[in-house]
Amino acid sequence: MTTIIPFGPQHPVLPEPVSLKLEIDNDVVVGVLPSLGYVHRGLETFINTKDFNQTTYVCERICGICSALHGITYTRAVEKLFDTEIPERAQYIRVIVGELNRLHSHLLWLGLFADGFGFESLFYECWKYREEVLDVAERICGNRVIHSISKVGGVTKDLTKEHIDMLLKMCDSLEPEIKNVEKVFVNNYTVKQRLVGLATMSKQVAYEAGTAGPTLRGSGNAIDVRETADWDIYKDLGFKTAVEKDGDCYARTKVRITELLNSLTIIRNAISKMPDGEIETRIKGFPTGEAIMRTEQPRGEVVYYVKGNGTKKLERLKVRTPTFANIPSLLLMLPGVKLADVPIVVLTIDPCVSCTER
Amino acid sequence: MMGMLNLVLTNISRKPATRLYPFEIREPFKEFKGRIVFNPENCILCGLCQKKCPPDAITVTKANKTWELNVFRCIMCTECVKGCPKGCLSVSNERAKTGAKEFIKIAVPIVDKPKAPKAAPSK
Ligand code: SF4
Ligand code: SF4
Repeated sequence: MTTIIPFGPQHPVLPEPVSLKLEIDNDVVVGVLPSLGYVHRGLETFINTKDFNQTTYVCERICGICSALHGITYTRAVEKLFDTEIPERAQYIRVIVGELNRLHSHLLWLGLFADGFGFESLFYECWKYREEVLDVAERICGNRVIHSISKVGGVTKDLTKEHIDMLLKMCDSLEPEIKNVEKVFVNNYTVKQRLVGLATMSKQVAYEAGTAGPTLRGSGNAIDVRETADWDIYKDLGFKTAVEKDGDCYARTKVRITELLNSLTIIRNAISKMPDGEIETRIKGFPTGEAIMRTEQPRGEVVYYVKGNGTKKLERLKVRTPTFANIPSLLLMLPGVKLADVPIVVLTIDPCVSCTER
Repeated sequence: MMGMLNLVLTNISRKPATRLYPFEIREPFKEFKGRIVFNPENCILCGLCQKKCPPDAITVTKANKTWELNVFRCIMCTECVKGCPKGCLSVSNERAKTGAKEFIKIAVPIVDKPKAPKAAPSK
């Protein structure tokens, strides 16, 4: 006989409200029914009251963790609508701030994940390193989490010599620290006991379920929008997609740790290749037509669709966030998992419910 | 084992990673966007700042000659600072104080500038 157990909307491991109805048979999950909609804010309709420049600030507030990447993707979509190229220096600055976003998001996730399986000191350790990234972001952009770096036509702030030195210093100090954390996540006996072989998803299943980000790459699919989509700048930054074959929670964790080290490489290379010059192009007029833009966020691929009708306001904005793409994979992974492991499996997709519901 | 001993010894001899908050306050970075400072001297009540503000935090009333900022609405995007043609607005790296009633709205009366005397018509 099966029992229905509600998981969420309020649960110690869930940072945001999502409710899963778990069908349990003998302590093992046999079925899952998710329900979303607790934090719906109607931001896609709200943009009808703002002009397309002001919408950047609305988009940044879709998610507090990958705010800069939301703003960057939106502005790139509008620039595509205008068919304008922004100065190269501005693109490099966007890449650097985007990677800072990825660093602090992954460090936050690693901390929450460690907390999820009861490793408190590792949680503090990860968040301590995240603080270094936030300090740098605060000094570059003026704010800790909502960076507001991107605007239609370029970026709002330039990087000074002082900022660049600070970034390089941060990369040098973070690298050994991340490697230290990696040792614990990868080699620790207890961590391995909890994660290896848990909620395995094969390469084919992950691909067919439309999974995105580290969840997809943890199952052996080397798909990263930074390499494949139309943002050429990433191609010269010495970056190699992190992939793991096993498809379990352990593999997904390893992908995220490798991505942290990748981000440091990207920041270093972007700094060395960044040209001098202007940081914004003036864009005049009102957009018409449609555009789609994709970017790789910490959690996976985000898709922005914008439609302009020749007025100062956009007619339609549609966002497809990575967590939305990852929820079907959760429904495939959870059956067969023990009830005690459900929080860990839910956390491995790095759920961001606020951005899923907007 | 040795690794763990090292860790224990370094942690014993190290300063705490946190601050004793209300007693020890971190100096804000000079780039930090803390709050908007309004200097009414040059303001011409053109209302450009109000028009640019994404969350409608600024209200400029020409009739009453007032400039109001709802600090609880302000998202510190600094669009108003960039948009002001007279340079009346700037960003301070001090945090906006919250909670106190007078900080909910700042109403700044615009001082009337003495009109320049008209040049006497030349005869
Ligand atoms: S503060 Fe500047 S932009 Fe705002 S009304 Fe005064 S002069 Fe105009
Ligand atoms: S900083 Fe932005 S939100 Fe705040 S008053 Fe100025 S324009 Fe409005």
